[in-house]
Parts: sequence; structure tokens; C-alpha cells
Amino acid sequence: MTPARPHRWGRALLNIGAAACLLLGASLLPPDTSLNDRKASGVLKLCVPPSYPPLVTGKPDEPGYDIELARAIAGKLELRLLVNVLPSMGQDFNPRNWSLTRAQCDLVGGGVADTAQTRSFMQTLATGAETGWVIIGKSGAQLSKGDAVAVLPGTSGLDRIALSNWVRRAGLTARLAATPADLERLLTSSEVAAAITERYVAAQLSEGFSVGWLDPESFPVFPMAFGLWKGDQTLMRAVRQALHQLEREGMVSQLQDHYGVSRLGPG
Amino acid sequence: MEMLALLRGLYAIWLRELTRATRDRAQLIGGVSRPLIWLLILGVGLNPYFRGEVYGEVRFVIPYTYLQFLFPAVIVLNIMYTSIQFAVSVIWDREFGFLREVLVSPMPRPLILLGKVLGGSTVAMIHGGLVLILARFADVTLSPLQIVQALGLMFVLAFGLTSFGVILAARVRSFEGFGVFSNTIILPLYFTSSSVFPLDPSLTRAQIVTAYPEWLVFMVQINPITYAVDALRGILITFNQFPSAMGSAVIFGMAVVFFVVALLDFRRA
Repeated sequence: MTPARPHRWGRALLNIGAAACLLLGASLLPPDTSLNDRKASGVLKLCVPPSYPPLVTGKPDEPGYDIELARAIAGKLELRLLVNVLPSMGQDFNPRNWSLTRAQCDLVGGGVADTAQTRSFMQTLATGAETGWVIIGKSGAQLSKGDAVAVLPGTSGLDRIALSNWVRRAGLTARLAATPADLERLLTSSEVAAAITERYVAAQLSEGFSVGWLDPESFPVFPMAFGLWKGDQTLMRAVRQALHQLEREGMVSQLQDHYGVSRLGPG
Repeated sequence: MEMLALLRGLYAIWLRELTRATRDRAQLIGGVSRPLIWLLILGVGLNPYFRGEVYGEVRFVIPYTYLQFLFPAVIVLNIMYTSIQFAVSVIWDREFGFLREVLVSPMPRPLILLGKVLGGSTVAMIHGGLVLILARFADVTLSPLQIVQALGLMFVLAFGLTSFGVILAARVRSFEGFGVFSNTIILPLYFTSSSVFPLDPSLTRAQIVTAYPEWLVFMVQINPITYAVDALRGILITFNQFPSAMGSAVIFGMAVVFFVVALLDFRRA
């Protein structure tokens, strides 16, 4: 009896299958030690500014959306969350001057916008909040050429150059505000017709102003995110997985409702 | 000859190339070892030098990690090796008389060449496709559409490079000579294709030449592989250093020009 003739593609498929299995096995190797390091220390460090409501409130009983979300993520990873409140965050136009280092933070929260600029030095993980430029005014007020607008750029990394070009094109006069309180003072004293700032800065103002996205065709809305250091792939995967799990459990939407994260305007 | 008979002949040549390459374990070992060496060893080894240490500091200007940046380039490297090494099969056929037998058949020469190039391109695309299995390791998330687009682009690139391999085979007479020759072509082309270091798209040429010497920038910009790597990056990690249509145009142009030149050489064979 002659042995059965092997299938024409049998050997080829066997070879390709073996190669694919080898690569699949290799793809399961951890590319770095970031998660193992965190597991060994038992701590996940989150850096936030002192206040960035509603993401960071500074109140011990309701610390803010980002802090509570990071705490839930740390819980999923069986780590203890250590919140480093850094007054240097948001104090300067250049984030390098905030002096945040890998030793201080594993995650950066409280106002990180998921823009290409941010992603050039960090990896980002969207948290469900969104930001962009908003225009604040007294209800029904219309802007016309020559009007003065107060501008407070904020620190989340939105495109300030595009904003200044837009203000110039619209024929408006920009007046820089130093703080949210300064912005509110300019608005209430009617020294300016309207104010432009970042969405969550507007959330810090008192009630009574109308808030809307600024020219949605010119200015995109960006997701807010946790920043993780570039190269921390295993930690990134674990945090992403934990976040997805929290989304499925409904925890993320609960926190969003609680902190009014999707509400536009003073909160 | 009837159209059907011609197509059958084309299929037979394609099938021969495909079965010969996929049954050859040595070729597949090469196809697996290259991505393992480049991604697992070089990528992971260099990764810490491209990671951030201070918030806001721009060390690596691309909005992706080094592994993500390197991943599409490793696919191109695998395709380059497999495609250009395909010329060995042409030399082999010539040395052992098989090519003569095929050339005296009623099949037109352009179809014989097309069958061989399609066979080589399919094998090269499989080798490129194998690298996609490492996407999870490099943290590159792929949708089915991205995979289909990437495989299409890989095939056209492989077609051009396989034709280039045939052009080389027409000029090299021995296996030994080809081995040395292919390495002196593949590696310089790969290293000057912005595969392992980026040219920041946000910088002007004047700014780029402050980071790299002008001769290197020039070599990167005239290298067609640069645009192939860029097109694949556009599909896999949505990052382009050059206008996005440029990569596809260069790859298609390369495929047409190299195939025509290969055909002229093959007719003289």
C-alpha cells in the first residue's frame, strides 16, 4: 500500500503556522518593566495641579473627577493611589517649567488635553471629559468688530496661536486675564464684551453667564486625558484595561454625572 | 494561445514560486527572525532612550512611542529582504536551466515575468503580514480596514521591489555575488528611509538640517523607501512625515517603472 500523498499546501501551511505561532508567542512578552515596578512599590503616583474643577477640586470629600477615576484605576490594579499636588502645574506657559519628573508621577491628570502636542512627549488615555475654547458672555450679547474680549488661555495645551489668529481675524481686541477671578471681574464690570477661555476654566466662574463652544468649525474639541510617560507600555496597557473595565461597570458615567463633567459652563 | 490557457500558465508560475518559497523553512526563519531582532531587541533596547523623563520635554518629537514608530519600518524591511532575495530564485532558475525551459514555452515573456513577480510579491507580502502579529507587542491597535489597506500597500511595494530584484539578477551572475550585492543595497536603503529616526514634519528644512547633516537629509528625501515607510506609517499609526498621497504615488510609480525595466532585461535574457 502506498502512503497517502501529503496535501499540496500542507507543508507550506505548517511552516507559516509555525512562524505565526512563534511571533504570537513573542508578542506576549512585556516590552518594559513599568508595570512590574509599580507592582513592586505598591503605589501609583498621580500628579495634579492644586485646583482644576471639576477634574481636581481641592476638597477632601469630593477631590475631583480625575482623582476619583485614578483611585478606581489604582484599585483595579491593586495599587494604592498617591496624589502629588504640585503648585508648579499650570503656573507657566511652558510645561517643562512645571518640573514634573518620572520620579514624581506615573500619571499626570487634572487638565491634560489629548492633543498632538501633548502626545509628542507623553502617551495619553482619554478619560471621557472634553475640552476646547469656549466663549463666555452675558446672555444674548453679540460680538462685533472692535469689541474687547478677555482671554485666559489656561494650561491644558490648546492651540493658542490659532486662537490669537482668530481673534485678529474677527477684528476683536484681546485683553489678557491672569486668573479666573480676573476674567470674571472683567466680564461683570463690562470692560469686555465677552471672554474666551478653556472649557474647564469657565466651569470655575459664578453662575449667570452664557457659555458656548467657540466657532466649532475652526476649533476642534479635544478629549481630556491622563498622561503617561512615553515608553511605559505595560503600565499603559494595564491602566487602559482597568479604565475599560470601569466603563463597562458604569463607574465612569457615574463619576461624570456626579462631577458634571459634561456640563458646559459654570458648575 | 487562448486567454484561459495563458491565465493557467500564469497561475502555474505564480504557484510554483509560492510553494517553493513557503516550503523553504530557511526563508521563513529569516522572515521571523528579522522582526524579532528589530522590534524585540533593537526596539526594546532603544525604547528607554526615547521615553519622556520630564513633562513637556520633547526628546522624541513623534507623537508615538519608539516601538510604534519602528513597527511599520520593520514590515518594510521584511518585504525588502524577501522581495530582493527573490532574485536568487531567478539566478537559480537560470543556473539550472529551468528558465530556458520556461522561456521556450508558448507563454509570452511578459506573462512569465509577471507570474514570477506576482509569486515573489505574494511571498513578500506574507512575510510583511507576519510582522502584523507583533502589533500587540508594539502597542499598535489595528482595525480590519487598516489591515486590508496595509496588506494592499505591502503587495504593491513587494511587486516593485521584486521587479527590482529581477533587475539585479540580470546584472549579477553568481549566488555569492548576489548575497554581497543585496546587503549593500538593502541596508543602506533601509537606514536612509527615516526608518529608525524621524524627520520632524513640523520643522522646516532649515530647522531639520540643524538636527541632521544636510547630506543625510538629502539621502532620506531622495530614497523611495522613505515614502513607502511613510505611507505604511500613515495607515498603521496614522502618522505621516510627508503628504499622505505621496507615499502611495511613489510606491505605485516604483512598481510600474521597475516592472518595465525588469521586462526589458527579461526580454534580453
